[in-house]
Amino acid sequence: MELNVKLEEKILGLIAEGIPGKFKKVKLTHETNLQKELGLDSIGMLALVFRFEEVFGIDIAQLGIEINIAKLRTVGDLLQAGQDILTEAESRVS
Amino acid sequence: MEERQQEDFEIIDCHCHIAAEEHTPRSFIEGSIANMTAALTAQGVPVTNRKLMTMFLSKMQDPLCDGLVAEMADAGIVKSILLIADFTYALKDCVLTIEESFHKHREVLARHPGKFEVFGGVDPRWGKDGLALFERSLTEFGFRGLKLYPPCGFSPSDRTLFPYYELCAHYHVPVLLHIGPTSPVLDFTFSSPFLLDEAARLFPSVNFILAHGAVSFVEECTMMCRFRPNVYLDISGFEATLGYDPSAGAIKAITSLGLNHKVLFGTDFPVFRLQGEQKSFVETLMAEDGPLSDLNEREKLLIFNRNAQRLVEKAVAVPA
Repeated sequence: MELNVKLEEKILGLIAEGIPGKFKKVKLTHETNLQKELGLDSIGMLALVFRFEEVFGIDIAQLGIEINIAKLRTVGDLLQAGQDILTEAESRVS
Repeated sequence: MEERQQEDFEIIDCHCHIAAEEHTPRSFIEGSIANMTAALTAQGVPVTNRKLMTMFLSKMQDPLCDGLVAEMADAGIVKSILLIADFTYALKDCVLTIEESFHKHREVLARHPGKFEVFGGVDPRWGKDGLALFERSLTEFGFRGLKLYPPCGFSPSDRTLFPYYELCAHYHVPVLLHIGPTSPVLDFTFSSPFLLDEAARLFPSVNFILAHGAVSFVEECTMMCRFRPNVYLDISGFEATLGYDPSAGAIKAITSLGLNHKVLFGTDFPVFRLQGEQKSFVETLMAEDGPLSDLNEREKLLIFNRNAQRLVEKAVAVPA
C-alpha cells in the first residue's frame, strides 16, 4: 500500500521525537531497526503509540483495533502499521 | 573442531512464565505499570494506568501456552522452563490458590509434551501444606525444580526453606530464585544474591540459579558463581537494557568472565512482550556482530543448552 506522503512525514516526525539522544544522528529509512539502531525499548514503543493516538485523535483500544507492538521491528513496519490503523479507524467510524 | 554449528543449537529458555493474568495478581502488575506511567508522563506522553493495563493484559491471554509454543518454534527454542512464582501469601488479590496454579501448569505440561519443564514455587510461610504440595509436584506432577520469590518477604536462607532444600537434594532438582528489582508492591530488601550464601553453603548438593544475574547485582552474582560451585545465574532481563544499549553489552560483559559454565539463557517471557518476540531477543544475542560473537561454539552451547540441561536432567522425580 502506498503511504500518503504527509502521513509518512508525520509518523517519521513522531519517531524522530522519541529517539534517545545518542541515536539522534541515525538516518531514518524504511529498513532502520527500531530497537537496534534507534534504541527504542518497550517504553519508547509505548510512547510512540500514545503520541500517535494523540496526533491523529484516535483511541486504538477503544476502537478495538489490535496492534502487536512486538512485531514492529523497523521504521517501515511502523509506517505500515500507522497506515493500517488509520484505515481501520476510518472504516470503524464511518 | 567445533562441536556444533550455531544453526544446530537447540535452545533452552530457563526463565519463562505462563502469559495469563490468573497466575499474576493485579496488584503486582499495577505496581509495574506505575513505573511505566511515571516514565511516560515525565516525557509528556498522554497515558493513564488504565490504558497501560489494557495494553499489558492484551499480552496475557495465553493460559495454555499455545502462543508461547509458536513463538518458541519461531525462535529456535526447543524447551522452556515455566516458573511458578508464589505471590499468594504476600499479595491477597491472587485469582488462583498456589495449588490451583500448580494444577494449571501441570495441564500445560501435559498439553505440550517435551516443550516445557516446570519449577514450582511455594512461599515457605505456607508451612507443611506448602512443603507437601512442593513434594507432590516432584513426585506426581513431573515438575523439576523449585522457584523462589524472596521479595515476597523472606530470605532464601530462611530456616523455613531448609526442608525444601532437603527435598531438592533428595530429588536432585535445582532452585531458581529472583534477584534484583521487581514490582514496587514487594520488598526489594530481600532481593540481594548474598542472602543466598548461607543456604548455598549449607546445601552444597543443591544447585541454585540467580535469576537476572547478568543485569541485577552483577558483581555479587558473578562472585557467587565463581566461588560457589553450586551457584549459577541466568541472563533474563537483558531485554530491559536494550533501550540504552542495543548491542546487549551486559551480556557481552557477563560472558567474557570465564564463567560460561555457570550462565544460562533466559527471556523472562512474557515480561518483555511489548518490546519484541522471542525470536528478536534470540537474534539480538546470536547476531554475527552481537554480544556473543567472541565466544566459541562450545561456550554458546553451554549457555543456550547444556547448562540448563545438566541442571534438570539429574532429577529423579516422575517423568512429566
